[in-house]
Amino acid sequence: MRFQISNFKFQIFFLLFTIHYSLFTASDAYAMHISEGILPFNWAALWSVISVPFVAWGLYKLKKLSAVDLSFKPLVGLMAAVVFIISCMPIPVPTAGTCSHPCGTGISGILVGPAISILITAVALLIQALFLAHGGLTTWGADIVSMGVMGSFAGFLTFKALRSMKINLAVSGFMAGLFADWATYLTTSIELASGIKGDAPFIPLFYKILVAFIPTQLPLGILEGAMTAGMITLLYKKRPDLLVKMRVLKPEEVAA
Amino acid sequence: MEIFAEHLRKDHLLSKVDARIKLLSALSLLGMVLSYKGFAFPVIITAICVFLCVRMKIPLKIFILRFSEPLFIAAVIVLLKFFISGRDGLIDGILIACRIIGAVSVVAVLGFSTPFTEIMSALSWMRIPKGFIEILMLAYRYVFVLLEDAMVIYNAQKNRLGYCSIKRGLSSFGTLAGSLVLKAFEHSHNITTAMIQRGYDGNIPAMKHKPFKLHDIAFSVILITIIGALWTI
Repeated sequence: MRFQISNFKFQIFFLLFTIHYSLFTASDAYAMHISEGILPFNWAALWSVISVPFVAWGLYKLKKLSAVDLSFKPLVGLMAAVVFIISCMPIPVPTAGTCSHPCGTGISGILVGPAISILITAVALLIQALFLAHGGLTTWGADIVSMGVMGSFAGFLTFKALRSMKINLAVSGFMAGLFADWATYLTTSIELASGIKGDAPFIPLFYKILVAFIPTQLPLGILEGAMTAGMITLLYKKRPDLLVKMRVLKPEEVAA
Repeated sequence: MEIFAEHLRKDHLLSKVDARIKLLSALSLLGMVLSYKGFAFPVIITAICVFLCVRMKIPLKIFILRFSEPLFIAAVIVLLKFFISGRDGLIDGILIACRIIGAVSVVAVLGFSTPFTEIMSALSWMRIPKGFIEILMLAYRYVFVLLEDAMVIYNAQKNRLGYCSIKRGLSSFGTLAGSLVLKAFEHSHNITTAMIQRGYDGNIPAMKHKPFKLHDIAFSVILITIIGALWTI
């Protein structure tokens, strides 16, 4: 006999309750990374294929820039270490009463541009997959697309758009961090829903995953925005020359 | 960070197997686990991998740490599928959970049994672009340095009540993350100077690969044949 719960509201409540408290209050949540093995072979292969040109673009940019500036390669390596540490850091999510982790792709997108930021994310994700079981080798492509591609582009484009409208640095940084985080979370939900749907329809499952992640990811995006704003403000106060060197600011903006 | 493989014992049964063989075998096994449509194969792979972890004398704490997150995710997926599609969903969910645990076990054995530098060498043998491997090595080397810097800053902030309220905590966290970026810039400048003094011209010399040993090839062929036979059942 087929098992069915008739009360739809009860199903939704139980779904949210289960996800929220079994995953997020039991340990630090790593919701931005899709775990090893979740995606079936065809989806894992598809996301890997999609991620390849972006990583290749990052490598091309790296080769070009490091030919001009010998310190660029070590800088990218160290930025990858920073993204690795930031995306392993548990930070409090007040509304969820628990901890989650930021992506760090917003700030790397702003500082080194989306191409290099994608490469940085790919490196950080590979170390996490191999040695910490955050993410995975089979979901590496999917994680690069959600965190690297979407996160970096969302952060970079938001920051550039707001700066071109003369919005101040802290607000631009905040919005860049916020959208980078939310873009990552949205893409992760799409990847997760498509990977685990089986024969079920995609859209209802996608909405359910999206809704289930809201209690954690919504405030986390705001926290990532605050963190990105704090980082960019600190860099502006302490080393504005670096922001000029990385083409985040124009020389006249620093002089002003 | 004690979970990193570098901190584990090196005198176990897989330590003498070539890293290239281990990496290729792991990738083949992952492909088989992901494409298998039943419960049995991932469960068998998990059992073999757990046995190998026991033989490698992986400390229980590290083993639990490594598996806790994937196990939670597997449990959530089972519940999620159950409440969406009932009994059919439950079966689907258990299939996905088995796949997760099987795949995580394979990567765990690879990570526990192979030092980072050997994995890098194996990746370079697999024609992964040199630039990518160089960034990977620099990142891995400086994760520990930056982590130490982060702990010093965090303790200093904590001692000065930097995390006594949400607002101050957020501000302190932003400063901590920003300081890490500043440290990254400083370190990269210092490393470049040090490397140029030692003849750095933009390329880090690649590692040389030893020729394969016959017993390594035999090991991989037997392993993949047996497991491949199980996979086809």
